[in-house]
Amino acid sequence: MKNMNSSRFKTVLSWALKLSLVGIVVLAILMAYLDAKVREKFEGKRWALPAKVFARPLELYPGLELKPKYLVQELEQIGYQRVPNVVTPGQYSFDGSEMDVFRRYVTLYDGEEASARVHMRFAGGAINGLWLDGEPVALARLEPLLIGGIYPKHNEDRQLIKLEEAPSLLLKTLVAVEDRDYYDHFGISLKGIARAMLVNVQRGGLVQGGSTLTQQLVKNFFLTRERTLVRKATEALMAILVELHYSKDDILETYLNEVYLGQSGRRAIHGFGLASQFYFGKHISRLSAPEIATLVGMVKGPSVYNPKRRPENAQARRNVVLNVMHDQGLISDYELAVWEKRELDVVQYSQYQRIEYPAFLDLVRRQLRSDYADSDLTSEGLRIYTSLDPIIQRSAEQAMSKRLEQLEAGYRMPKDSLQGAMVIAGTESGEVEAVVGDRNPRYFGFNRALDANRSIGSLAKPAVYLTALRLPEYNLITPLDDSPIKVSGSNSSVWEPKNYDKQSHGIVPLYQAMSRSLNQATARLGLQVGLKNVVQTFYDLGAKNDIPAYPSIVLGAFEMNPFDVAQMYQTIAASGFQTPLKAIRGVTTQDGQLLSRYGYDVKQSIKTEPIYLLQKIMQRVVKEGTARYLNSQFDASLNLAGKTGTSDSQRDSWFAGFSGDQLAVVWVGRDDNESMPLTGSSGALRVWAQTFKDLPLKPLYPLPTENIVEQWVDVEQNAISSEACDGAVQLPFIQGRLPLQTLDCVQEQTPDTGKSWWSRVFN
Amino acid sequence: MKSLLLVVFIALLAACSTTPYQSADQIQASHSEVLAQLPNWYHQNLGLQLNGGNEYPEQQALASLLQQADLEFMRSNFQACQILLERAQRISTREPSVYVRLSYLFWLENNTRSAEQMARRALALVVRDEEASAEVKRLLLAIQANQY
Repeated sequence: MKNMNSSRFKTVLSWALKLSLVGIVVLAILMAYLDAKVREKFEGKRWALPAKVFARPLELYPGLELKPKYLVQELEQIGYQRVPNVVTPGQYSFDGSEMDVFRRYVTLYDGEEASARVHMRFAGGAINGLWLDGEPVALARLEPLLIGGIYPKHNEDRQLIKLEEAPSLLLKTLVAVEDRDYYDHFGISLKGIARAMLVNVQRGGLVQGGSTLTQQLVKNFFLTRERTLVRKATEALMAILVELHYSKDDILETYLNEVYLGQSGRRAIHGFGLASQFYFGKHISRLSAPEIATLVGMVKGPSVYNPKRRPENAQARRNVVLNVMHDQGLISDYELAVWEKRELDVVQYSQYQRIEYPAFLDLVRRQLRSDYADSDLTSEGLRIYTSLDPIIQRSAEQAMSKRLEQLEAGYRMPKDSLQGAMVIAGTESGEVEAVVGDRNPRYFGFNRALDANRSIGSLAKPAVYLTALRLPEYNLITPLDDSPIKVSGSNSSVWEPKNYDKQSHGIVPLYQAMSRSLNQATARLGLQVGLKNVVQTFYDLGAKNDIPAYPSIVLGAFEMNPFDVAQMYQTIAASGFQTPLKAIRGVTTQDGQLLSRYGYDVKQSIKTEPIYLLQKIMQRVVKEGTARYLNSQFDASLNLAGKTGTSDSQRDSWFAGFSGDQLAVVWVGRDDNESMPLTGSSGALRVWAQTFKDLPLKPLYPLPTENIVEQWVDVEQNAISSEACDGAVQLPFIQGRLPLQTLDCVQEQTPDTGKSWWSRVFN
Repeated sequence: MKSLLLVVFIALLAACSTTPYQSADQIQASHSEVLAQLPNWYHQNLGLQLNGGNEYPEQQALASLLQQADLEFMRSNFQACQILLERAQRISTREPSVYVRLSYLFWLENNTRSAEQMARRALALVVRDEEASAEVKRLLLAIQANQY
């Protein structure tokens, strides 16, 4: 019996030894694996840093039309604080006519601007005096607004800091609250675990964790948030490995940058560096003791103790932390008493509490795609400098949502049934200044400005008239026939366009046919000049899509998105000089090294003379045609030009309009492509007008060339007239393309000099 | 034998190259030739007379940027020069002297396509000023003939 027991014991012992051996081997392999994982993360790049995207820096100069309210708005948005007298960078003062801005140090893609006091005097809605540190100057730039980031998949954002930048009070408080034995343990704290167990037993549940800072870091870096024993064991092993390899300071610095401290929309705020900017609008080194207590308090529960969303919870938690600080001798009795009563003082609006511009960011991302991999954009901390103008963007967003609401109410359409998109660009520079892709401008989703391909309707007409004006047979008063027209197509189909008013208007001069947007006359003209020529004009203007040479294209029965339409109209607005629309000026590395620049480029794709005539007609569209609503809204001296567009069955409402410096294309419609009781005039045009109503615009002066002559003509008779003749109007013509007939009235008015009418006209 | 092969190889490369090889001295020479060709107004009055002189307040800003751009141009800092000219363009979108400068800049960088287009842009803007128009036309012809 004894022998049997002894033999069984030996067998068990032998198996136990073997199993232990296997266990040790497995543990060793596991440790090696975890070690490799730890080292890979710590020795490689620890974080993916999202690219930061900036708006244009506001360029200030005497003569700049800028309402002070817009400047104040921008300063507030970039986190400047209004004070009676400026003393430090990041402050401004304004007394109604004079403004002082203590500019912060700024890095831009083309250099840097030192911190300086910028003083401005305003008069008549413009800057009329500018000083930099007391000296009069011609120019000064402000720092650009941070408008968003290109985030990795979890939308993590952070601003990296060095341990030395963090106030020592923050480090001491963090250690006191989260891990008192931090400098004594080796990754896990047996004392901490025992204390947590005791509390949990006393409270009858899991209320306190015994995790050290190292364990918390490991959990955030490598593991999930699930509460299982396996996960806890792995966490403990990895924490020991981290402590074996790295110094306490290195681990603490990593923790400071890694910890999750709340959410701002889709963006996850990580690290104390970004959190201090986000919640208090200041650099971490300038945090006060109560602010430190608030942030350290958040570590326990970033959502529950979020000072912006749950200020009461956050204040109570801050006071708990202040008491810990007091117990540790970090603050005095008096300080505790004063600070416990203090408000949280979080900033509601800071550079880091930013408004994002999803539609514009989408464009930036697409334009960068040819030069940068997605991983570069989401991980290298690149700085992308764009042309977005926050003042114009805000105006466009507000105009879109306000006008769509008014249109829905006015035309008894269901609420939120309309959608809209807008693209605004500089006419000459081709720089995109604003993009609206949805009536809710904060929506990250379908970007109608770039992706809504819709029938462009009458926005196609300028290309038809331009095709005619490029040919020697046509001028502004060439008579066009606006009688009904039928075109037979393949499969016995018949295309029979009608005018909007269902009337025919007989013979009309070319310029009126366009300014009144007559469909029948345009259809006839398109067929006369040749569909292939019209298609070529679309391409010369910058159209990129495939446009089939069907008769209906002359009335815009093909689809384009607002961005591509804006490209076509940019060529018209810039007198035939096409500049690719671009949203980016330059890209630098995190430390300011220029990586790529996107400079001005131009190509003359249409001769200046026919474009000059087209611009003149488009000014008439605003003066007396389908866009005359603008007359009641804008100073006539701006000479605005534009074209309304309404697609078949009123499914799309368009307006493309421009001044001397700004071009904007607006689309209004329904996502389900249903009809609306709206035309280009009653829909998109109103949004355009609302957008620019309060913004400075430069007048449009079409550029005549030496080949352009101004001539008095009789439009009805398609003949040369003179100022003194009845019904004469003065219109521009390309040399050699004047009407062939001259009225008798001209001969009566002009003494016979024996010269030909041609010589008389030009002398 | 190896040296002979190397010489043949270099000669082949040179023959295949689209841009003729230029030594540093030759590049310097071509820069100075271009600079010598710049019309007087370019140096003296910043070309502002093309657009009617300093009658608008924003002309101070424009003049300041053009002055800085000219300085960078003379130092052969072409990128900095171009950035300054683009800033000037944003302030005064139809200032012909900006486009003339851009044209010279691209020409000097051997980008005749852009040089010609910039000159055309300038020409469209100066058409009512005969003297300036003649200057820009001369520039355009020189670019087209590729004559420094």
